[in-house]
Amino acid sequence: MTGTEIYKRTAAYERDTGSIRLHAPEWKLLLGFDGQRSLAEVALSMEISFADALPLTEKFLQQGWIEEQPISLDQYLKRTGAPSVSAIGSTVTPAVVWHAPRTESSTPPPPLPLPIEKKIIEASSATDVTPSAQGPRGPLRVGALVNYLLSLADNNSLGNLLVYRVFLRVPPELLQAEAIASVHLVNDSSLIRGEKLQQAIANAVNELTKRPLPDNVFAPA
Amino acid sequence: MPLHERDIYYFFDVTLAYLNKITGNEIALRNPTLEFQTLVFSAYTGLIHLKGGAEGFVYVTASQPFLQQLYTARHSEGRFTEENCLDVMNDITSEIAHNVHKRFGPSLHVSEPHIFSTVPDDPIEMPPAVFVQPISWHNELAYLVLGLTSSESIQS
Repeated sequence: MTGTEIYKRTAAYERDTGSIRLHAPEWKLLLGFDGQRSLAEVALSMEISFADALPLTEKFLQQGWIEEQPISLDQYLKRTGAPSVSAIGSTVTPAVVWHAPRTESSTPPPPLPLPIEKKIIEASSATDVTPSAQGPRGPLRVGALVNYLLSLADNNSLGNLLVYRVFLRVPPELLQAEAIASVHLVNDSSLIRGEKLQQAIANAVNELTKRPLPDNVFAPA
Repeated sequence: MPLHERDIYYFFDVTLAYLNKITGNEIALRNPTLEFQTLVFSAYTGLIHLKGGAEGFVYVTASQPFLQQLYTARHSEGRFTEENCLDVMNDITSEIAHNVHKRFGPSLHVSEPHIFSTVPDDPIEMPPAVFVQPISWHNELAYLVLGLTSSESIQS
């Protein structure tokens, strides 16, 4: 394990999540594995030392709660700072990101392809971008917002309630205007594009947590 | 005085503890959702209204097979009827109401359980958002639904 590995949470984790008992820092790390950032990046963002993160990651692997997420050539090139495949005119097939559809089942059904626009957004978001380099913000990724709020709570249950509290503060008419009828607290793939709704959510998060929304909950513009 | 997050979660704890006691810890939680436009109602529902520290409602709604399994787990004999469904649902909801009252006392007024099939007799006002926790047992589903009228009902 070098720290460059990218992990995502598994169906076994989703199935067992109600019965898993961990200490808060362990949850923090476990919830950070999003299939996009490397172990080192996750540990850094969670303010957990790499030395502490390693044995915990091993533990999660042994329990089957996370698994390594292979990345595409395009994602790899972006991570290493090389020009993207499309930019250099390669004939290599562009990265295709498969996105889990909404489901209430603990066992995810086979993934469905996304529209082209969404694929591009998700592929781009695989690369961490600093706020200064990010420029204008794109759509707010509901799944990333949920994961961020979960990371602030002592455990998943309280994290879920925090998400609930945030959305209780959002004017229903703004949700209706964007046709948001529900939010899944695991693997929600929705994007929120309306600035008013984004702002209302940011305000609610700020009021409840005294923190601004981090840039990584937004897809690049 | 709003309830603490941990107090709110007590509604879930007490429900799951009761169901797990009957099922031998076989209850599985599925991924929860927040709903903004609709309330989910299965075949039978037990609802209690909350006033005081938290304003809103909490209810359990379950399919008939789910309740039949619960009934069978507790009573090995006897024919299963619609009345049994209502009785089982009444037991679950009364357990929640009893424990919540015991824990919070006069700071949270808990209504008598309202038990009904299909949809409620009296209309329920949709809050800004409801928290829906699906619960499964042997592939049959029930839902624990929490609807608070405002975020001010909870404090961290």
